[in-house]
Amino acid sequence: MLLNREQSGKRWHLRPDGAPKVTGQLQYLTDMTLPDMIHGRVLRSEYPYARILSIDTSEAEALEGVYAVLTSKDVPGLNRFGIATPDQPVFCEDIVRYVGDAIAAVAADSPERASLALDAIRVEYEELTPLNSTDAALAPGAPELHEHGPGNVLHRTEIKRGDAEQAFATCDHIVTETYYTPRQMHAYMETEGGLFVPDEEGRLNVYAATQHGYKDRMQLARIIGCPEEDIRVVSSPIGGSFGGKDELNVQPYGALLALRCGRPVKMHNSRKESVRAGLKRHPMKIEMQTGMSREGIIQAHRVRITADTGAYATLGAPVLNFCTEHCLGPYAIPNVDVEGVSVYTNNGLSGEFRGFGGNQAIFAMEGQMDRLAAIMNMDPWEFRRRNMREKNDPGPLNQRILVTDGLSQVWEALDRSELWQKHQSPPADPSLPPWIKRGVGAAIAMHGAGLGYGIPDPAGGRLSLNNEGKIEVAFSYEEFGQGLVATLEIMLCDLFQCSTSDLSIIIGDTDRVPHSGSSTASRSTTMAWMALQRLQTPFRSRVLAVASEMYGVPADELVTGPGGVWRKGQLPAGSSEAETPEKAERIEVAEIVAVGNESTQIAENYLGASQYLAKDEAPSGLVISYAELATQGEADEWIFDTKFDYPTTPDNVVGGHYLYTYAAVAAEVEVNTLTGATKLLDTRHVVAAGPVINPMGYIGQIEGGSVMALGFTLTEDAVMQDSRYVTTNFDTYLIPTIQDIHTNLEVEAIEDLPEGDAFGPRGIGEIGSVALAPAITAAIHQATGVWVNRLPVPREQLVRPLNVPLQEGVSPS
Amino acid sequence: MSKPLENHWTAVVNGEQKHLEIAQTTRLVDVLRTHLHLTGTKVSCEVGRCGACMVLMDGEPVNSCLVMAYQCAGSDITTIEGLHGEEKGTLHPIQQAFVEEGGFQCGYCTPGMVISTKALLDAHPEPSHEQIETGLCGNLCRCTGYGGIIRAVRKAGERCAIRETSAEETVS
Repeated sequence: MLLNREQSGKRWHLRPDGAPKVTGQLQYLTDMTLPDMIHGRVLRSEYPYARILSIDTSEAEALEGVYAVLTSKDVPGLNRFGIATPDQPVFCEDIVRYVGDAIAAVAADSPERASLALDAIRVEYEELTPLNSTDAALAPGAPELHEHGPGNVLHRTEIKRGDAEQAFATCDHIVTETYYTPRQMHAYMETEGGLFVPDEEGRLNVYAATQHGYKDRMQLARIIGCPEEDIRVVSSPIGGSFGGKDELNVQPYGALLALRCGRPVKMHNSRKESVRAGLKRHPMKIEMQTGMSREGIIQAHRVRITADTGAYATLGAPVLNFCTEHCLGPYAIPNVDVEGVSVYTNNGLSGEFRGFGGNQAIFAMEGQMDRLAAIMNMDPWEFRRRNMREKNDPGPLNQRILVTDGLSQVWEALDRSELWQKHQSPPADPSLPPWIKRGVGAAIAMHGAGLGYGIPDPAGGRLSLNNEGKIEVAFSYEEFGQGLVATLEIMLCDLFQCSTSDLSIIIGDTDRVPHSGSSTASRSTTMAWMALQRLQTPFRSRVLAVASEMYGVPADELVTGPGGVWRKGQLPAGSSEAETPEKAERIEVAEIVAVGNESTQIAENYLGASQYLAKDEAPSGLVISYAELATQGEADEWIFDTKFDYPTTPDNVVGGHYLYTYAAVAAEVEVNTLTGATKLLDTRHVVAAGPVINPMGYIGQIEGGSVMALGFTLTEDAVMQDSRYVTTNFDTYLIPTIQDIHTNLEVEAIEDLPEGDAFGPRGIGEIGSVALAPAITAAIHQATGVWVNRLPVPREQLVRPLNVPLQEGVSPS
Repeated sequence: MSKPLENHWTAVVNGEQKHLEIAQTTRLVDVLRTHLHLTGTKVSCEVGRCGACMVLMDGEPVNSCLVMAYQCAGSDITTIEGLHGEEKGTLHPIQQAFVEEGGFQCGYCTPGMVISTKALLDAHPEPSHEQIETGLCGNLCRCTGYGGIIRAVRKAGERCAIRETSAEETVS
């Protein structure tokens, strides 16, 4: 169905964090302050690659108002971090490998004084020639950036099937192309930071954004050399992440400084520091050779992927795995020869980013498909259909995957769309000047969800009736803007027919939630749904059994509802739905009164925001309220836990996925061939990801992902020169503004899942961002005849001399 | 010899007279966030590009990271905390529309976006698409892709127009 507010009806659910966000009352972790806090700053490397000869901190330590100056010798535990491969130094000991490398950290009584202290630290370096490209890093004799080599290779991947070489020899047509993708920046609006508070009991409270609080806690405990239980990580709300805040960033420094000083320490990166030290999307070079028969059936596919992972591993290896898996597209290809390599360089740090390597792979593979179709003089969509995998075919890694109709459904839905139909007869507008060209393109993708086979991917959750009589869920997921809390509200209201005021939703706090995995890889919605499926029956059974015992009504005549337990058939009308927009509008206005108070300095839990939610009037026909129920028996009898793993393929292929989402995207562009500027006019995203739980969130994720992909395609590149960033802020790193976006963006959701599907709604956090780039470049080709192979699209490639007749008597020069 | 600037700063912030002893070169964003604890005004790029720190200064939208205390002394400043509906403690129609249409996700750009929308609708109660683009192109949002924001601004525009019409009718 076409997804919009009108179609969504009563499921258009207002977010519980809406009022605090639009009034500015919500305290982000970087907004928090304490009266006795001091300010932390980090000294980063002057060079992308250098040997540290000496560090002299004495002058900085002697400055008035400076509380601590720390270097590597002050790290009590492991001087390294990294989610998968802990190879990034908290503080460099002897070598710096990129311009974001930390050498020292200071805490002082003001940000200005902390800055002075940084200037007073003397570091002597022996500058080395940086490995500023993967070629330089792989060249024979290149210095090895890490001891765990060989060479500067972080990771290699390979998929070999059939005999590609022999197959190429028999192919009638072969397309060979090399694709380049940029170093994209997450550009979350809130830069990294937070507050680090040691308490009287000797525990450390960390208020800093992350996508996986427990993983931060584990890494911080390792750095500090303390039990994990001595640390509490509070990690939501977050002002955007997109994968960029999953690794530790300011946390090691804030934690060590706070413990050293015994006082709260505030850290907040400037944008420039965020750019310099933070993760980016891996720039990749993808060489592809694809051969087909005379009938247009692909026979052979050779791929060489080179990823610039920068100075440290972060998630470079899994990103390369994902890219390798996805560079075959959703196509059945008998002879495959893929090799990938992820290379250490002295360039900025690359890591995880929405799409996780799929974006680069899909851009390249779909580019091949358009080129092959053009050789065949065939409709590119029909060409794709001819080569698409069948429903029961194995996945890209030859692994078993869950069978769904998603691929053919998105193909067909896009084929029917008005926008794609325009491709048949290229839109020509006689009112446009001759240098403005229009074209339409499309692309298709299958995208794996979850971390994949062989990678621990735990999930779980807790459902309880708390002592205030609220139905409480607790997950270790994070709210970084995607609308998770609203989605949980909808799921719970659906399950228990209750109202939002009956709920207490706890996330983002290691002291209050069970270990239920990370908010990554488009998995939170699926995992929460699966957890609630497991928890609902035991929870409901107990609720109804206790109510039944107290009132002598058989349990099977009772149901849960708003406010408590009801007799079957007597639930108030409309209680199965979350509140209607009309009702919510009224409520939002009425309840906001609470907002005027002075904001607290440390919000215990921002989900206190649920105070803005509906409060139903006391209903008649209620058997017993949740609050009364909660007083029965012991508190722990009302708590239910579950633990399980994200579903993976049963086949032994590391990184192989089991659940996929599918998407098809069409795009119409207008190219100004005088300036080379491309404007995206119209797009349609068709997404097959199972039932739409939260329409507002779903649309938001696809629209947001689409515009992020627009930036990836047309403007965004964190340019490095000699391993130093040239684009250091939003004045030169250009993310789309409201003027740059497609004014028409339609989202079509295909909700079908196989009968009895056990996995529920699939995540859609990434699928909106993976297939737009090749659709745009295909449209550019139709408009201009130029095959684009590099992102962001180089404007100079699209500039063409005016194709207009010369005027009599006018000089052409 | 000219006298050094004194550090006494005064302005009207959200309708209240404020007096501070601060360096005159303090940025307005720091005056608001650090000295007045008004953290609704966000800090992000600090070069006047993203609009997260947008406030109204004598009714005009300005990036508070680019305004020094001496430049706004004596001004009337409205931050997101100063925006509300007909009664204090209620949502302004713009805020209301952002909530209803999903005009935010992480919410970090939202205060600046709402402030810019206020300036836009004050100048153009029924803005054309071009006016919305011009009015909000100084505010970056990385989450929504702007779709929800545009829908919210349109709805807010309609509501503000209705309100103004009915107010006029009441007067006449």
